[in-house]
Amino acid sequence: MQIETFQFGAVNFIEDNILKFKSGLFGFEELKNFLLIKPDDDNIFYWLYSVEKPEIGFPLIGLNVVYENFPPEEKCTAFGIVTMNQDPLKVTVNSKAPVYINQDEKTGFQKIIEDDKYDVHYNLFVE
Amino acid sequence: MLILARKNGDEIIIDSNIVIKIISASDGYVKIGITAPEEIEILRGEIYSKVKESTLKASEESRQKLQNISKLKLNKFKE
Repeated sequence: MQIETFQFGAVNFIEDNILKFKSGLFGFEELKNFLLIKPDDDNIFYWLYSVEKPEIGFPLIGLNVVYENFPPEEKCTAFGIVTMNQDPLKVTVNSKAPVYINQDEKTGFQKIIEDDKYDVHYNLFVE
Repeated sequence: MLILARKNGDEIIIDSNIVIKIISASDGYVKIGITAPEEIEILRGEIYSKVKESTLKASEESRQKLQNISKLKLNKFKE
């Protein structure tokens, strides 16, 4: 199987690579199947691409990179959706609604954390 | 939209397993208690809207190329 992505061009994958999001993402509830792509080891960003609509893709960052004790979910890695900006100081990550991914079971879900220390637009970089 | 008038302590039952109870109402504030199965997600409307808006924006901006960040630091959260 193959999808055409903006960042990586054609991406080949097999059924087993697909992450199932039962409830989709907030704002994209209709999208249930995603691919998680890690460009290379030096890169802090991952990319989450919709299999159904490959024109929809998000940069993600592991939230443990930013927060020391980010609320865990069993067997999952917590990622935040990144909003890019031409000005790196305006690049933000959504830590209020993390995307949890279970790589073993190939599942994912997004949830909202009721704690004011997490922010929908948390600045990712500082000088 | 179904509109119901309720008094303090009254309940509304949805689908026989979701119970919404009016705890108190005064001065424009309503306190509501909700009992529902674990798989039912309950969110404050304004937070849901904000998150949804942010996801849509992230999708729109995802094709922006990240400028050189070598002089910047990751903004680690401090407790």
